[in-house]
Amino acid sequence: MSSDIDTLHPLDIEGTRLTVKKPALRYDRQGDMSDDRRVEAAMRAFVREFGATSAAYLESCIHCGMCAEACHYYVQTNDPRYTPVRKLEPFKQAYKRESGPFAFFYRMFNLKPRVTVDELQQWQELIYDSCTMCGRCTLICPMGIDIAHLVGQARHGMFQAGLVPHELWAVAERAEREGSPLGATPKVFKDRIDWLSDEHGVEISVDREVADVLVSMSSVEIMKYPLAIVATARVLNALGEKWTIRLDGYEATNFGMLSGNAQWQKDLSMKIINAAIKCKAKLLLLPECGHAYGAMRWDGANMYGKPLPFEVLHVSEYLARNLGNGRLKVKNLPKSVTFHDPCQIARRGGATQAPRQVLGKLGVELREMSPSGDVNWCCGGGGGVVTIHRADDLRYKVFQIKMKQVDESGAEMLVMSCSNCRLTFDDGQAHFKWDKTAHSLLELVADNLVQ
Amino acid sequence: MSKDDSLGESLRKQGISRRAFMKFCAATASVLALPPGMATVMAAALSRARRPSVIYLSYQECTGCGESLTRSFSPTLESLIFNAMSLDYYETLQAAAGTAAEAARKTAMKENWGKYLLVVDGAVPVGNDGVYCTIAGESAVDILTEAAKGAAAVVSVGTCAAFGGIPHANPNPTGAVAVSQIVRDKPVVNVSGCPPVPEVITGVLAHYLTFGSIPELDHLGRPKVFFGETIHDRCYRRPFYDQGKFAKTFDDEGARNGWCLYELGCKGPVTYNACATVKWNQGTSYPIESGHGCLGCSEPDFWDKGSFYQALSTGTWSGATVLGVAAVAGAAIGVGAAVVSRRRQAHLDNEKQPKEKQP
Amino acid sequence: MNLLDFARGPALEWSFAIFLFGVLWRLLGILLLRRVHDYSEPRAHRAALGALQAIVRRTWPRKEFRARTTYGLAISYVFHVGLAIVVFGFVPHILLIRSLLGVSWPGLPGAVIYFSAVVTLAALVMALIRRLTHPVLKLLSNFDDYFSWAVTIAPLVTGLLAVAHYGGRYENLLAVHILSVELLFIWFPFGKLMHAVLFVLARGQTGVVYGRRGAST
Repeated sequence: MSSDIDTLHPLDIEGTRLTVKKPALRYDRQGDMSDDRRVEAAMRAFVREFGATSAAYLESCIHCGMCAEACHYYVQTNDPRYTPVRKLEPFKQAYKRESGPFAFFYRMFNLKPRVTVDELQQWQELIYDSCTMCGRCTLICPMGIDIAHLVGQARHGMFQAGLVPHELWAVAERAEREGSPLGATPKVFKDRIDWLSDEHGVEISVDREVADVLVSMSSVEIMKYPLAIVATARVLNALGEKWTIRLDGYEATNFGMLSGNAQWQKDLSMKIINAAIKCKAKLLLLPECGHAYGAMRWDGANMYGKPLPFEVLHVSEYLARNLGNGRLKVKNLPKSVTFHDPCQIARRGGATQAPRQVLGKLGVELREMSPSGDVNWCCGGGGGVVTIHRADDLRYKVFQIKMKQVDESGAEMLVMSCSNCRLTFDDGQAHFKWDKTAHSLLELVADNLVQ
Repeated sequence: MSKDDSLGESLRKQGISRRAFMKFCAATASVLALPPGMATVMAAALSRARRPSVIYLSYQECTGCGESLTRSFSPTLESLIFNAMSLDYYETLQAAAGTAAEAARKTAMKENWGKYLLVVDGAVPVGNDGVYCTIAGESAVDILTEAAKGAAAVVSVGTCAAFGGIPHANPNPTGAVAVSQIVRDKPVVNVSGCPPVPEVITGVLAHYLTFGSIPELDHLGRPKVFFGETIHDRCYRRPFYDQGKFAKTFDDEGARNGWCLYELGCKGPVTYNACATVKWNQGTSYPIESGHGCLGCSEPDFWDKGSFYQALSTGTWSGATVLGVAAVAGAAIGVGAAVVSRRRQAHLDNEKQPKEKQP
Repeated sequence: MNLLDFARGPALEWSFAIFLFGVLWRLLGILLLRRVHDYSEPRAHRAALGALQAIVRRTWPRKEFRARTTYGLAISYVFHVGLAIVVFGFVPHILLIRSLLGVSWPGLPGAVIYFSAVVTLAALVMALIRRLTHPVLKLLSNFDDYFSWAVTIAPLVTGLLAVAHYGGRYENLLAVHILSVELLFIWFPFGKLMHAVLFVLARGQTGVVYGRRGAST
């Protein structure tokens, strides 16, 4: 079975971004359910999502269309299909028909018709390919509707219906099966660590029984930006932390969440949570990865079912804290820098100031993009979109906003704190033969440490 | 004075000068809003006209309309009664009583069958075969029905006769109805008001005398010439309404300054009458000028439209029951809808993932 | 009973009853759905503040979004403010509110009201034209949007006709005006007009979530 999937969905490790190889034949429908069963499965999953919170959101939309003006897909294409709230249409339809206060009448008079499999299939592109769940729409909505959150919920139904884009499903399935979506299995990871440790002469602690800090990594970093591992080790060693990486819980990315499988999301999160509990960690350090931050910092405890017995920090927050209290010292970096805010960490995560404090300590000249911070434009690769081949053209279109923003900032250096954004930037750079290279905030700090 | 005398003759016999007669015609024409030239026409018509017989019946009423009529100044009641028409029966003013009075009515009806003018004030009770108002052993409804048969036209004076008025108000124990409910085959002019403006009563009679016909009526049977505009539209306090200046109580600064009485319940905006133009007591004033809002007395059911002191834009409520029941029902259904949704979710949570049926 | 008495009496009472019935139905049907407890450790214990911030601040757009939203927002602002002036500034309306709730405030001169009403009318017409022509709005709009627009503009039109005494006898115009408002009240809980209540919920929720996260609400 697994070899089947591996043959069907081989990973593309060599490309500019990490995903499965471009499939000759797309499998955007999983399983062999009948259409009726697909719809039924989607409906069941949708209905389970409809709590008081999502109900209040779905009830209060006034169809003002403002969310379109915040969405990079609409802004770059002027195609009204990409209006964020419209991406929720089948979800909303299901809500009105099945769970809302007037559901009885909607059903009785068929005021909201039953969602069809064709509609769901049509919406696959809208819910996955053209939504990074970046939450700019949430920020502009005059009713305050958290559209990004609802898209995440709608993906649950899509997964149950077996209507996930080929690549996203493949990497999510691999993550559930192998522990990593992109081939960073414990064995591969261990080999990398050993090699990096030798190559860079840095001590990397693995599988300590007891540690204060548990370090997690994104498979994007493991496979593509392994220097992030070295940088993390340098910082933690410089601080003299009692830290470790555990092979039973290191993968911070959560393609269960991105693809819409709530059970897989939980499985993936619980691996790290259990590892942290096992080594009695006081702090779980999350890597430079946006959605990993959301999945663990804000959803982790809810997967666990009670408050987490340890602190969860993004590495930029950790750096800001230790640079702030003087435990960590950096050299002055006489450069102008512009910072790309990863949506899940800044806008949707609340850690907007941490990277700016770090850059402040580095003494760089910060040239903010316009807009920046909480209102920053998304790179276009989040939410699993960067894995989807058929979304490439659209992704390059929206990436042009980013290029313009970076160019206009006039900064010498482009820095960010999300390896998925970085992957998207690298791919965009290659595609457009752009002269700007994305840098990691963590690596910038590690490179300028005062020992 | 013979009944066969024409009006012109009778005037001459009484030594009323041509000048005085023309003055009367001009005044009446003015009240009726006729063009000035019509005064001459009216004079010519009136002087040729034979004095018509008028029978004035009073039922469920307070005699306020009669009081009002006697305060008419132009044309004066005296001139109407003694010069223009032959008032053959009117309980309030006639000298005769008992059998003699009834005989006078019957005689007048017989002699002028088909030609007399029937004036009615007061509502007519029809409950319990009309026993609530009887005169000389006959019920009001019977007398009216009979009298109306021989009338050329009927004038309902006052809101009670025109629309049922206060006797008709909720709960209407006597089954009081308007004259027009009983007299259906004769033209009925409704001169409403509680009481009507005296000049309006006499004006309508003068019109009939002049032209031998009734004036143009609105949809409620009222002469358009007097009931064509609302009190509000002709109110001298209207500018204050437009400026948003309102008296809040009857003794506040606004009241002293003569501001609009809308907030104090004035019904002027929906009341059609001539008060604001003709005014009362020989053109002295009208209620709003005296500092009180219009009660809307010339409109049907004015007694049953909530408090006189409640502003027009507020609603009338039957009580809190309907709202209370609606709130409880809404809450119950809302809770029910949520419970149903939650149970469906709980059911799905307990269920395993749906299994694909194998064909 | 004439039309005005019907409008001021039973129709008013029943429209309020249906309004109350529907609002409670919809509100409780939403609020009593299940809630998931959030176990995550808040960055900042300012959920309540976040809710309040979102409720207030979402009233105007962030400056970053202004360039793309000004036209649509200006229309919305004009007709919301205009409606507020007409509904809450016209003395007869204040008297109705006073008779219902017992609170009152000074009214505005008629000229201000009439001017606001005309401007509001124009803004609503522009809103409709925009809805019919803007590709996004065209795609999003459904029966609710157009019907809610109609029941919103109807009281404005009938109210203006009533004050102008145009198109019939005043008491009938007034009755039609009151009936049109009653139609709005009846429709309110069942369509998008309910956003006048629901905006507090939706904004508040997002405010709570983002407030806990220490993110910008």
